[in-house]
Amino acid sequence: MDAQFAIVGRDFAISVTDTGVSRSIVKMKHNQDKSWQLTPYTIMTVTGEPGDIEMFSEYIQSNIKLYSVRNAQDLTPKEIANFIRGELAEALRSRNAFSVNLLVTGFDKVTGEASLYRIDYLASMAKVPFGSHATPSFILYSVLDREYTPDITLEQGLEIVKKCIAALKTRFVVDMPEFTVKVVDAQGTRSIDIVQV
Amino acid sequence: MDRYSFSLTTFSPNGKLLQIEHALAAVGNGSTSVGIKAANGVVVATEKKTGSSLIDVSSLEHMAMICDSIGMVYSGMGPDFRVLVNRARKAAQTYRRTYMEDPPVRILVKELAGVMQEFTQSGGVRPFGVSLLLAGVDDRGPNLYQVDPSGSYFPWKATAIGKNMVNSKTFLEKRFNGDMELEDAVYTAILTLKEGFEGQMTEQSIDVGIISTIPAVEGEDTLKQSKFQRLTQAEIKDYLSNIA
Amino acid sequence: MSIMEYCGAAIVAMVGKDCVAIASDKRLGQQQLTVDMEFQKVFPITERTYIGLSGLATDVKTLHDRLRMRVNLYKHREERVIEPKTFTHLLSHMLYERRFGSYFISPVVAGLDKNNRPYICALDTIGCIDSSSDFVVCGTAATNLYGACESLWEPDLGPEELFETISQTLLSSIDRDAMSGWGAVVHIITPSGVITRDLKSRMD
Repeated sequence: MDAQFAIVGRDFAISVTDTGVSRSIVKMKHNQDKSWQLTPYTIMTVTGEPGDIEMFSEYIQSNIKLYSVRNAQDLTPKEIANFIRGELAEALRSRNAFSVNLLVTGFDKVTGEASLYRIDYLASMAKVPFGSHATPSFILYSVLDREYTPDITLEQGLEIVKKCIAALKTRFVVDMPEFTVKVVDAQGTRSIDIVQV
Repeated sequence: MDRYSFSLTTFSPNGKLLQIEHALAAVGNGSTSVGIKAANGVVVATEKKTGSSLIDVSSLEHMAMICDSIGMVYSGMGPDFRVLVNRARKAAQTYRRTYMEDPPVRILVKELAGVMQEFTQSGGVRPFGVSLLLAGVDDRGPNLYQVDPSGSYFPWKATAIGKNMVNSKTFLEKRFNGDMELEDAVYTAILTLKEGFEGQMTEQSIDVGIISTIPAVEGEDTLKQSKFQRLTQAEIKDYLSNIA
Repeated sequence: MSIMEYCGAAIVAMVGKDCVAIASDKRLGQQQLTVDMEFQKVFPITERTYIGLSGLATDVKTLHDRLRMRVNLYKHREERVIEPKTFTHLLSHMLYERRFGSYFISPVVAGLDKNNRPYICALDTIGCIDSSSDFVVCGTAATNLYGACESLWEPDLGPEELFETISQTLLSSIDRDAMSGWGAVVHIITPSGVITRDLKSRMD
């Protein structure tokens, strides 16, 4: 039961994941970073089946790195999202589908815009202002729908993130003590320590 | 690919592909075929050569319908022609299967030219010993194309291939004009063949195929109505008697 | 719950006088959860042919990507623009190719042919073509759309009247379907060009 969500402002994106890894009723780990750096300006957060997450994400990360090395140029977030979707869609109709839900957040240096692509395990892709996956999304979407406006500042965005985390802590049955918060903007990507509510 | 299967078609030091030139020589030995694009259709005609009077000429087919809207004749080697007819028919049916309409002539020509080119570059094969004339109608109107063993193709208003190619082309240059109707074109085609025809020309010794564009009827596809057909011996006989 | 009703959609195409219209809602859902309110379901294939794809969102994208490739190849190979009817047969062929593992998509095609004659049709998931001379519908709101079309559509509507008719048809249909709605878009295809308008609708 992993929580992940992301928000996009005009020129930044914030992606958030919880840090827990559990199997059956046991917590296996409590400090897992569920985000994957794809280029200096793009990250993806991945949840789902643990084995699939590792296999698929490493495959994607390696191939995008390979592209950067070969062409001395990074793919844009849009190109990355479409590449990931294509790979996931092809796998879906083969004998080894991946059970992974992804959020791809990135900043396009050329257009100066940040974007978020929500891709689920069926390879349905949508470019959205905010997104989340699986059970926690029922709670998170309520908060995001109420709080989000397209012209939020980074500070306002982080406030929304805090509210989302607070909602999870008070209303979601699974205990999630810690979260990783990452920001993507013109400066690249960085982790942010959110003062816990 | 097999390490030892070299292509037979290799460049000679002066930059020529001799195998292709030999293939063209084989075409030059073949019986003459002519094609004329008229204002309202296309005609193709060819000699039916027989080595012996004992052969039942009525069973000889030097001309093939590829699909309703396209027909084909050749000069050169008969067996090679039949391979290409099979390929062309299959390509046409595959196109129909996908788009539910006959292929435009140019598309089929490209397909065939592609096949013929492949046989100049693949290992273990030889080029085709035929040149083709394709006659057809599509939404651009009547079309006449020639395809050579090298895989080159040319659109023509009127042309000839085979043994009497040079003389026939000179004849056509004099006789052809753009507003010619299909009926006229049939006579011209037969007359062209008659130039340099060895022996008596009869309805048994030539093959004529026509396809016409039919004026569009409101709400109906013209393509569906025009059909490539070989003239019957009786029809050819009529034309011949009008000439004589 | 059928896989065809997993994402939700309402798509309708109508014939007018020398014009056709195609319209869709914009919701992308995962069953009852709305994920996106700007999801594209109607795509231009040529300047005069549009396609609406209802069904599973992943296949909407996959099929549209493949169609775009096939139509571009056609354009380059044949040096002409594909006709709506020819395109429909291409689509039908591509769907039936996957007879035993089909795309979970039921498409609607709308366009004007080279003689400016309107053409609309709907297909099932394995490519059976159902052409019509009045209107075609698909998606989770299909039943609602049929009712609305039956009472609102009439022959020989001009572009503006057709826009009004298809808009009212779509809006009233999505109001009674929980799986579709959240905004809508209408394309009117006329000999002189395509008019595209976004519609505001209930967002609940």
